[in-house]
Amino acid sequence: MIVVVVVLGAAVAVLGLLVIGLLRSHAEILKRLHDLGAGIESEPTSTVGSQPSMPANPQPGRDFQVMPQMPSPPEREGFGGAADLAGTGPGTGEAVTLRVTGVGHDTIVAFLSSGCVTCQRFWEAFRKPRKLALPPGTRLVVVTKGADAESESAVAKLAPSGVTTIMSTQAFTDYDVPGSPYFVQVHGPSGKVRGEGTGPDWDQVRSMLSQATDDAELAGRLAGSNVAKPDADAAREARIDRELFEAGVEPGDPSLYAVVGDDPESGPAHDGEADPR
Amino acid sequence: MKLQSHGIETDLPPGWEGRIAVRTPPDPAAALREGGGSRVTSRGHLDEAIFPVVHLGNFPLPDDRGDFGSGAVDVMADQDVLIVLAEYGPECANTALFSRQGMPTKLTPNMFSSAALQRTLPGQAGCQLWFTDAGRAFCLYVVLGRQSNAARVLPSATKTLSATRIRPR
Repeated sequence: MIVVVVVLGAAVAVLGLLVIGLLRSHAEILKRLHDLGAGIESEPTSTVGSQPSMPANPQPGRDFQVMPQMPSPPEREGFGGAADLAGTGPGTGEAVTLRVTGVGHDTIVAFLSSGCVTCQRFWEAFRKPRKLALPPGTRLVVVTKGADAESESAVAKLAPSGVTTIMSTQAFTDYDVPGSPYFVQVHGPSGKVRGEGTGPDWDQVRSMLSQATDDAELAGRLAGSNVAKPDADAAREARIDRELFEAGVEPGDPSLYAVVGDDPESGPAHDGEADPR
Repeated sequence: MKLQSHGIETDLPPGWEGRIAVRTPPDPAAALREGGGSRVTSRGHLDEAIFPVVHLGNFPLPDDRGDFGSGAVDVMADQDVLIVLAEYGPECANTALFSRQGMPTKLTPNMFSSAALQRTLPGQAGCQLWFTDAGRAFCLYVVLGRQSNAARVLPSATKTLSATRIRPR
């Protein structure tokens, strides 16, 4: 009898350990799922049949997939910064500085690597600069990482003769490049990034960048079509503002919002907040 | 933007870019194939001592440039300036041609002429000055995209030269 009790006790102990282990494993799985953003009941307000909500910060692998051999987009909103380029010429030791900002021409900076498979298509395409169909007034510059992270001899062999190529690890940092291949188009006069991204071949990258250029030009045209306020109106408005201010009527003063027949001292004639317009 | 190599350094003003390079010496094997025994090749003389050359410009410098700016002068616009600093051998330092001491930094329009161009192109003008700085002999060669713009563009070139330093070897 004692033996049976001992055996049963041991069995219960072993089963208890197994249950504890399973619970811990389950908790670990839930924790990992939560970290990945797929935790249960993460969106309590969602209803069956409603459109899936767009994540605020889409992440590759979770919210979308990128093609193999392609770098995921950087985890930031908007474009990165632009900077002038400084580095060395591959295989020549030449010290090179290239002006990208504050110049009359635009620049497409192609961040490539000697080792990545997709980059080979771009190295090959850049050997025929005339077939690249670059936008007028646009300079193409190829940038690889410096000799600390790249084979200089390999880059020297790949560097196309008709396209400026420099090695600069700093440029990858300055432009916040997520990987190779990656392309950034910089508007020279403003020094701002007009478009950035990647693609499997030059045709797709060119299409993406030309779309960014078209968008920027359209925005410029729309801004240019705004009708400026006539000078006389602007001068009159400034004079009235000045006279009111000198009379002690500051912006937001209740008397500015009174209608005819109301007592200015009693505040706005209508209910609610005064309309600041 | 700073540019530094071979004991030459400069801080380029906005709009300017530059290169400091030493030309790749000719390959003796290729020279034999080219000239059938001649020591003169398309890339220079086999026994030539090669020294650094600096190219500074307020326009996009092409990759294919000669020591004195051939290739670059062809693409210059009216507002463009090209500065070349070509070093010569140490035996030239302080000789009669290189007797001027220090980097020339004051350039005036009357120093420029189309006759001073290595390659004459319509409207362009050049200026050549030889000097010794830090015991090193240099030729300063400046090309203007259009001579009539000299007064307008030279202040920028002067600023660039003033920010350029040469250290002893």
